[in-house]
Amino acid sequence: MSTEHGAISRIWNWRITAFCALILLAVAIMAVSFGPISINFFKVFKTLFDLPGGSTGQDRTVILELRLPRVILGALVGAALATSGAVYQTVFHNPLADPYLLGAASGAGLGATIALTSTHHDLHAALPIFAFGGGVLAVFTSFVISGKFFADPNSLLLSGIAVGSFATAIQTYLQQRHSAALRPVYSWILGDLTSATWSVVAWSSLYIAIALIILFTVAKQLDGLMLSDEEAYSLGINPKRLRIIAVAAATLATATAVSASGLIGFVGIVVPHLVRGLTHRVTNRSLISIAMAGAAFLVLADLGARTLLSPAELPIGVITAFVGAPFFLVVLRNRRKVTQ
Amino acid sequence: MTISITDLTVRYGEKVVLDDISLDILHGKWTCLVGPNGAGKTTFLRALLGMAPYSGSIKDRGHEVFKNHKRNVAFVPQSPQIPQGMTVAEYVMLGRSKRDGWGNDSLLSREYVHKVLTQTHLFGMQTNLVSQLSGGEMQRALIARALAQEPELILLDEPTSALDLHHQISVLNNIELLKENGVTVISTMHDLTLAAMFAEEIVVIKNGKILLSGESNLVIHSSELRKAYDNRIDVYTLESGRPVVVAKKKGLI
Repeated sequence: MSTEHGAISRIWNWRITAFCALILLAVAIMAVSFGPISINFFKVFKTLFDLPGGSTGQDRTVILELRLPRVILGALVGAALATSGAVYQTVFHNPLADPYLLGAASGAGLGATIALTSTHHDLHAALPIFAFGGGVLAVFTSFVISGKFFADPNSLLLSGIAVGSFATAIQTYLQQRHSAALRPVYSWILGDLTSATWSVVAWSSLYIAIALIILFTVAKQLDGLMLSDEEAYSLGINPKRLRIIAVAAATLATATAVSASGLIGFVGIVVPHLVRGLTHRVTNRSLISIAMAGAAFLVLADLGARTLLSPAELPIGVITAFVGAPFFLVVLRNRRKVTQ
Repeated sequence: MTISITDLTVRYGEKVVLDDISLDILHGKWTCLVGPNGAGKTTFLRALLGMAPYSGSIKDRGHEVFKNHKRNVAFVPQSPQIPQGMTVAEYVMLGRSKRDGWGNDSLLSREYVHKVLTQTHLFGMQTNLVSQLSGGEMQRALIARALAQEPELILLDEPTSALDLHHQISVLNNIELLKENGVTVISTMHDLTLAAMFAEEIVVIKNGKILLSGESNLVIHSSELRKAYDNRIDVYTLESGRPVVVAKKKGLI
């Protein structure tokens, strides 16, 4: 941070945000181009923006009906998970906080298992609704159990862990009783984007957009939640109200992401730390950049999931952990070197 | 101009922490709250900030503080929540939020932060992480943030606890800097000698009640002060006229 004319330099540089946007665009076009049928970059670009010289026929269908919805869903889920992760880490003063922490994941897992193990096959199609309902219900229960509405973020964290364990226990019980459903439940838990159609994109983008707009709006104030409540209050925010808004919006984003694509681990922890580590800025003004980096990360991971063992597919959760974990460790190590 | 407190009572559940307090605090002065641990000093600060629900009334320039979110009051806590990964510059910049809007890196704000970092001798450390500052540096960073806030009133909870003598003086001098800018200072302090040295007014609180308040010199030499500490302190006056307060040790005169 150099100084100019007796002023400290800007805390957040918008060029970082622009850079993340460029990366996301490049990754998205690449992901639409690659696959069992490879399509020329420029043709993809022209098809996407409806310019003359785009693909026609089968290629056009592959681009617009198969790959594009999948890439957009991947981007939405990645943005939702990374942003919620960053927000949870700020609200709970805990760098290891994860969007699944308050029971959203286990609740959604239980909901999905109920749908998959049910004898009524009609219910299988309603899996996203069950998962969404389960996730929201679990987080709501955590809120209620934590008692004194949000006086202390730690008690919410603990009740979230308890509710999560309880939901996981019921889920395991159901799984054991219906061993036929073991495989679909397991593959759902590892997460996948194969279900992506325009209708899935449509409903999930609505909820995720609402949640992200709320979070981006309060992003700057969220920095105040890194302080004690008295300090935050003296800086002009109502810490209790802001915490509820932030956690509710982050939970909406997480539950939507989980019900659209299953449990994709690691994004919510790795991406915020990557962006904060590489920019050396912990401020939540980076939230938009974190969202775009999360989107790019998941689109890239999904590209790996469907091309590495082509024509077979790897679960995307395997890729995010396999690639994310070592990369994360490298960044963490470098960050420590810089700050020591 | 005053902060007028009438019949202030604060309860945490069944427990009465502040009991029917009435007091006028002068703007532009340094008022210090002293008293044994658990007397209610921190709660008093929280109530003045507008954060503790109370019965009775606290009027700052005529407006009830609990309903007035527009006041620009800086708060320096005894044990701050230290944000992981945040640099000193980011930390002090947070103080600009009330003046300049959240996250607004305006040139004016960045110049102001530069100025207060220089004043508090933190310039050159702006890229250090707050989590890695020493106790004295952290306290200076808190004061720098309060300075950046350009507040009308600053509340400090034990600003010198856990600091060595050298740093205590340096922090207290920084607080005087605020007062020179016309800021009203209200602090709690355990060290009565330092309280008498820096504050103009001293308020003695015990068990949620005010035992005595008034000009520092009068309060320090009063017998009520000794009573508040169960006669376990001695007050001496140096040749320069400065009072010094020391704890009594059993068996020593």
